[in-house]
Amino acid sequence: MLDAFSRTVVSADAKGASLGSEDLADLRKYVADANKRIDATLAITQNVSCIAADAVAGIVCENTGLTQPGGHCYPTRRMAACLRDGEIILRYVSYALLAGDASVLEDRCLNGLKETYLALGVPTSNAIRAVEIMKIATVAIMTETNTGRKMFKGINSGSGAQCQDIASEAASYFDLVIEALS
Amino acid sequence: MKSAVTTVVSAADAAGRFPSMSDFESVKGSFDRAKARLEAAEKLASCIDKFTNLAVDAVYQNGSYEQANKDKCVRDIHHYLRLINYCLVTGGTGPLDEWGISGMREIIRIQLLPTAAYIEAFIFIRDEIKINDVMSQQAETEFKGLLDYLINALA
Repeated sequence: MLDAFSRTVVSADAKGASLGSEDLADLRKYVADANKRIDATLAITQNVSCIAADAVAGIVCENTGLTQPGGHCYPTRRMAACLRDGEIILRYVSYALLAGDASVLEDRCLNGLKETYLALGVPTSNAIRAVEIMKIATVAIMTETNTGRKMFKGINSGSGAQCQDIASEAASYFDLVIEALS
Repeated sequence: MKSAVTTVVSAADAAGRFPSMSDFESVKGSFDRAKARLEAAEKLASCIDKFTNLAVDAVYQNGSYEQANKDKCVRDIHHYLRLINYCLVTGGTGPLDEWGISGMREIIRIQLLPTAAYIEAFIFIRDEIKINDVMSQQAETEFKGLLDYLINALA
């Protein structure tokens, strides 16, 4: 597993070069944005069940056959599995966001996920739709553009509007999930 | 690779939980030190040739090692300093452990290398070179901590 720092080191080692000032500029930005990054991760961790439940409710509303007998979210046991998977994906996205690198998400969550879903008969189109909804919800909560109340309390001063860059980074991790399932 | 953030994420993943408040605090703690670490890495990168040459010259001055090996010694000291540069960037000992220390004993034993020469060189860098001239006190502390770690691993 890599983070933003070790990713830089691994690519420098491939060239056999030391890391000088110009190579460290991105990392300095990562360090400077640490508070925002922690707040953005908190935006996920404090709203996990809400984001996952919303996404599953969303796919069911868009396709009511899912909860009917014969549907993929029937009976409740399968619906529960769906919610659980939503939370697992959010967990790995939160790790990737904190680390500033997608390797943990790719190695430990996405690698083989599509094959598993195909083998278990989970419809990937619905799974992808659920991930899309989670992406939209997460970005809205992070940037505080969701309707209604502010959804998370950061430990630092960074307010949601400042998390724009990091929210697009989070969105890119959701896109990786979608890509892996497509 | 072991670094401040991956250690925390691995532990959280092993327990199947989201990053907790104490995880964030530990990550934050490492970011607070990151400024000094990155400074040390940057300054070390710019002085790496100078440090290497000073140390190797000092070690070979007293004539107890074969001059023929000097070039190889320069290459190795440079290599280890580069790994220390990486460790300063990652904030953990991962690069040294994975690329410099693991398997090192076996190589040294087979090739009958005098580890004492390496140790002398790193002790020279730690104690004799005025590191303070090129980097701040905090950066120097981070750098020397890793030199100590390497010296202990070689000893």
